[in-house]
Amino acid sequence: MAYFGNNPQRGELQELYADLNDLNFEKKKEAVKKVIAYMTVGKDVSDLFQSVIKCLEFNDIEMKKLIYLYIVNYSRQKPDDAIMVIQNFRKDVRKSENPLVRALAIRTFGCLRVPKLNEYLIEPLKDCIQDDDPYVRKTAVLCVPKVYEVSPEICPPLLELLQKLLEKESNALVLANLIQSMREIEVVSGKQIIILNQKIIQKLLLAVDECIEWGQIFILDYLATYNPQDSKQAEIIIERTLPRLSHINPTVTFCAVKVILKYLDFLDNGDLVKNLCKKVAPSLISLLSWNQPEVQYTILRNISLILQKFPILFENDVKVFFCSFNEPYYIKYEKLDIMVRICDSKNFGQVLNELLIYLNEADPHFVRKTIKSIGKIAITYDKALDKAVSILVEFAKNIQQPTEPVQELLIQMQLIYKKNKQMYKHEESLKIIYSIIDYANEPESKSACAWIVGEFGEFIPKSVEKMKEYIDNFQMEDRLVQLQLLTSAVQLYLKYPSQCSILIQQLITSAKDSFNPDVRDRTYIYWRLLSTDPEIVKNLVCFNSGTFSNFSKDLRLWETQDLVLALENMGNISNLFHKLPHQLYKNIKIKVNNQQEVKIYKGDEKPESQVKEQQDENQQNIQKEQQQQQDIDLLNFDDPPVNNNNNNNKSNKTDVFELI
Amino acid sequence: MISSIVFINHKGEILIYRVYKDDITRSETTQFCAKIVATKENKECPIINIDGTSFIHITIKDIVVLATTKVNVNVAMTLQFLYQLVKVCRAYFGGEFDENCIKKHFVLIYEILDEVMDYGVPQIADADLLKKYIQEGGLKPELMNDVEKLKQLTSQATGATSWRPPNLVYRKNEVYLDVIESVNVLMSVKGTILKADVAGSIQVKCLLSGMPECKFGMNDKLLMQREPRKPGQTTTDKGITIDDLKFHQCVKLPKFDKERAITFIPPDGQFELMTYRITENINLPFKIMPVYNELGKNKLEIRVKIKSIFEKNLFATNLAIKIPVPKNTANVNTNSAIGKAKHEPDQQGVIWRIKKYPGDFEALLRCEIDLGSTTNQQPWIKPPISMEFQVPMFTASGLRVRFLRIYEKAGYKPTKWIRYITKAGEYLHRL
Repeated sequence: MAYFGNNPQRGELQELYADLNDLNFEKKKEAVKKVIAYMTVGKDVSDLFQSVIKCLEFNDIEMKKLIYLYIVNYSRQKPDDAIMVIQNFRKDVRKSENPLVRALAIRTFGCLRVPKLNEYLIEPLKDCIQDDDPYVRKTAVLCVPKVYEVSPEICPPLLELLQKLLEKESNALVLANLIQSMREIEVVSGKQIIILNQKIIQKLLLAVDECIEWGQIFILDYLATYNPQDSKQAEIIIERTLPRLSHINPTVTFCAVKVILKYLDFLDNGDLVKNLCKKVAPSLISLLSWNQPEVQYTILRNISLILQKFPILFENDVKVFFCSFNEPYYIKYEKLDIMVRICDSKNFGQVLNELLIYLNEADPHFVRKTIKSIGKIAITYDKALDKAVSILVEFAKNIQQPTEPVQELLIQMQLIYKKNKQMYKHEESLKIIYSIIDYANEPESKSACAWIVGEFGEFIPKSVEKMKEYIDNFQMEDRLVQLQLLTSAVQLYLKYPSQCSILIQQLITSAKDSFNPDVRDRTYIYWRLLSTDPEIVKNLVCFNSGTFSNFSKDLRLWETQDLVLALENMGNISNLFHKLPHQLYKNIKIKVNNQQEVKIYKGDEKPESQVKEQQDENQQNIQKEQQQQQDIDLLNFDDPPVNNNNNNNKSNKTDVFELI
Repeated sequence: MISSIVFINHKGEILIYRVYKDDITRSETTQFCAKIVATKENKECPIINIDGTSFIHITIKDIVVLATTKVNVNVAMTLQFLYQLVKVCRAYFGGEFDENCIKKHFVLIYEILDEVMDYGVPQIADADLLKKYIQEGGLKPELMNDVEKLKQLTSQATGATSWRPPNLVYRKNEVYLDVIESVNVLMSVKGTILKADVAGSIQVKCLLSGMPECKFGMNDKLLMQREPRKPGQTTTDKGITIDDLKFHQCVKLPKFDKERAITFIPPDGQFELMTYRITENINLPFKIMPVYNELGKNKLEIRVKIKSIFEKNLFATNLAIKIPVPKNTANVNTNSAIGKAKHEPDQQGVIWRIKKYPGDFEALLRCEIDLGSTTNQQPWIKPPISMEFQVPMFTASGLRVRFLRIYEKAGYKPTKWIRYITKAGEYLHRL
């Protein structure tokens, strides 16, 4: 049988038509298969609709399934023809003693999605929801959202039936499907359909034990969105969820983790919370070494959230995030990202030692990111500064080509010098960095080099010559580099007025007519100031180190108040993109967080609410920062984003870590 | 939930296309095929968003198995479902999963897809169970007309022990246990252990009649502390600390959580009873001691000493130690007392193979590497030395099965067999 033939020529369709209408059963069946094959490759075979549905008269279940598949695919194109099959479905649903046939019929019936056919569906569907056979029931409950989506107006009696079923159903699988189906309707309608009470919760918890793995996931996923009434209820639900941590399906485990972590907030008993954290951590770590990299990736993308709310879970466990040599790069990037977040003033040595190894990797992007991470750690933790600089300098010594990592190295060194100017002495870092300065070929790295030449003019031999070289090419540079060159050249001029006077004139001549207003403005400001009062210029361009000691120490990815909502969505698409659901999906309503305070669970202390403190602190920082920036950054507004971090609360989230 | 499931070949052609919800058009999928699969661009990342549609996919050999959705689904579940789907297909196709068998069995695949997912919601996806009511070429008419049998089938499928059919009969009741451990270790250049863990798995082949209830015990520290000590009995075995355990769905998890007792009604035939992870007190079966020397501009010397650290009466088999060499290696002279070492350019390394290796034994390999001259002045990035091996009757974690008790109404005494084996997982030593 030809599966992937060429386009169905008109002749072929005719041939199929003939075969479908043939009296020979086998011939008919082959023809139906061919029709499905054409459908798969995207060819339009809807013209055969009538002939295909005629084949339904045979009581062959394989063929029936294929024809149903065909009908589902084309029913909306041919609503009038689809009416003809209705009788068939109704007969199957009502008359057939075979539960598989009943289920198949109701399942397919629901998929027709033709509004005017749905009214014929209501009665059989009601019957199926109350069928004796659980297999039919579990299929029927999933039919309701299908109908609801197309014709919600005829659904109220069905919804009533579902709610009744929720109260009396005893089969775990049906119950799980029921919850999922009602949730689907909740999403479409935006209304709350599931009404829980103590008894139903009990039943759901019981069903988790008996259900197939997907059912367990539906129920746990749903429970994660529920807010328990009190500490007692939360405790019961956690207790019943704990065994799921040992399930072999990683998603079941992960959902169990989600439920437990979410309910921790509702517990009064601090010791219990600690104990539970101890139980959750090893399961979570097992998931990180799961042998399917895709699953591992989804877990890793959620770690930053867990780290932020539950630092306690990964205490002393940086090692689990170390990269293996053979891992795919998308996993390695995630791990790198997490290692920086998990790094603190105690374990930075361990992390830096590991990052040092990654500098030998073959992939230049990965090495670049490693360098960025090292820089980030150096800037965030004062104690790590020496070691980080040593590593970077050692790396710089072996550089012979203008590669991608080199660009990052120069950028990071600039940031480090900005944080602590004295670092230039450390292991002759300045000398070595200066020796590779010619390898800069990206705007950011070039501007970093220009900054270094200006800032350390007095320590660099022939700095004026270097600057001349830059200024000779001024017109060809990127705007970012031009702006930095202006500042740096002025800086150098203040250090060596006699040597640089011609240089400055040359610069002003070439910059004052720039097409870029920023460049032009800056040129004029410097020009005027230099000709009136060079002292003011000095204050402007030569800041002392310490000004930038106020680097952002904030590695948080999520806004603290978003943590609870993000936790509910652990494992979902939105969390994978580090967003809240309503930020990613327009039709989702913003869910208001009812909890007043967000608890953060740290290692040694008892859980405490830190939101307020942090917010106050943030507020102060922002104000301070803004003031400083007004003072100093008046002209230097093109510094890398790290400095402007707190200017705007939102940029916090995306600073050095690029999100997708 | 999920809008559609699609199988795509490496050229970006659609092999199987099943829609569960209307919110997706075929052109969106073909766009994904053309942009991502055919160009191999960014294909690595398992989830990609294009214009509000999420494409969640895994790649099995050359086949991309894709799920699309427009809502905020649980990605971990979706991925897990795709893996399960492939597993089901393999079970039907005798372990195969490639373009040929997909094309050959496409009718069957559509039938499977119809059953394992409804309205984008994953349903029963257990291969053994599905085989009961989905068969190539349709079900036998006897079954289709036997309403009693059908009822039994649906009640098993939806019941609490869906994995085991009732009324099984074996003339000889037997159970085979395999304890398989993979040791993952990463050693630094100086030989300190950076990371070490054991990923263990207990495979069971169960040929038992009726509905047996099994109870399984091992030398798990926590379990043994719970057991009452028999008077007069002193055990030296204190047990081992297991970091984490994961069980097959048949194991009664609440009971394990409360009593740490592993009880279950097993499925019929082969299954993985549990997996576990251990990070403490691991007995590494091999020590690798490399020495790396640059003897000149175009000459390197790597010496690798390996030492087995297990009892003399045990043997390791099928050792393969891969020593990486630079790309521009021209010639390698190897010298070792046992095994065969050969430069394999396609692997970019010297592979040292030893068929059988006794316990408590040291062996040395010396490689002299001549380098060809290249224009590329980049220093060689040294990948780690890796090692493969198997050590039968040895567990790196020290895990021992203590008992497997089987209770069945019929009261038969089954024969029980047990094997242990330790394999290398990622056994790496940085050079």
